[in-house]
Amino acid sequence: MDRNKLEKWLKSPTKMGHKYSLHVVYFCTGCGIIEIPPSITARWDAERFGIIPVASPRQANLFLITGYVALKTLKAIIRTYEQMPEPKFTVAFGSCPINGGMYWDSYNTIKHLDKYIPIDGWIAGCMPRPEAIFIGVTHLWTLIDKEMADGYKKYRKDYKYYRENQEQIFGKLEWPPLFQKEVKK
Amino acid sequence: MNKSLKEKLLSSFSDIQIDITEDNKVFINTKKDDVISVLNFLKNLGYKHLALISCTDWIEENEFELVYILSSYMENDTEYRNKEKTNILVKTRIPREKAEFVTLINVFANAEPYERELHELYGIYFEGHPRLTPLFLEREYKIPPFRKDFDTKKYVKEVFDNIPFVKDRKEKK
Repeated sequence: MDRNKLEKWLKSPTKMGHKYSLHVVYFCTGCGIIEIPPSITARWDAERFGIIPVASPRQANLFLITGYVALKTLKAIIRTYEQMPEPKFTVAFGSCPINGGMYWDSYNTIKHLDKYIPIDGWIAGCMPRPEAIFIGVTHLWTLIDKEMADGYKKYRKDYKYYRENQEQIFGKLEWPPLFQKEVKK
Repeated sequence: MNKSLKEKLLSSFSDIQIDITEDNKVFINTKKDDVISVLNFLKNLGYKHLALISCTDWIEENEFELVYILSSYMENDTEYRNKEKTNILVKTRIPREKAEFVTLINVFANAEPYERELHELYGIYFEGHPRLTPLFLEREYKIPPFRKDFDTKKYVKEVFDNIPFVKDRKEKK
């Protein structure tokens, strides 16, 4: 461990823990997943940043959305996101989740992903290089430090509106709401 | 080999057009009633692999063109072993208004997903197909999305752009 950071560790151990153990869900969407194998293996070695891919969303706290999102994938993304334990962070990759990218007039691709789930960070590019992933992750560290990576809190707070958006695109959803309506005291 | 194939086909079918290109592609244009028998004939000749069924929308001529792409497993066949691979494209046209055709499952069993796909994306009904259920799409479309008269830009405006950002939805209430 870096001795210079000892003070930080003692001050806020939870934050430091969240920062240096980002476990990524192994979830492939679109073409960006081709960037993940080189970045987690020997050449770029994501583990020096504390990033490890895990098999199940129950063990993960970082969700990389790696490319264009079709309607069918969006359903899977929402379900995966809701299964992850808090705190959870999402980073969307490439230009397609931002505004549709080259699929701007497609009949089946989502244009703005942040209408359906909250996104903490965006990495622009088509496709971003593995270096861009690490720059994105180090930015996420500063966001966690400043408590600005609060997408999961927003999701809890504005769940009603996110759910309304999800229902507008899919019609009726097959799963019950994650958060029940607040009970008035 | 291709010439003998052409002769064989011409001798057994009357209403048939055959073009052979230099890169070993055989284009066969037939009437819609003959397609199944032509494909059956080719299967018996050794072209046992149905690679794809594809479709083209000729909106000006008001017709769909179905394309069946066949090839053979040449390693198993002494006649074809040392020769170049031949692709056969059997083409036929069906009217656009009454987009119906007969299923190919009885000849090639792997035609099933291809026909489901065409049913979903072009709205072509295949008679005798056991399950023409949704395959890829999640929403229902009034016009099947791969038809030329499906206006994607209008559709995007109506569906995706109509969904507000969470911030705007919150302010509205």
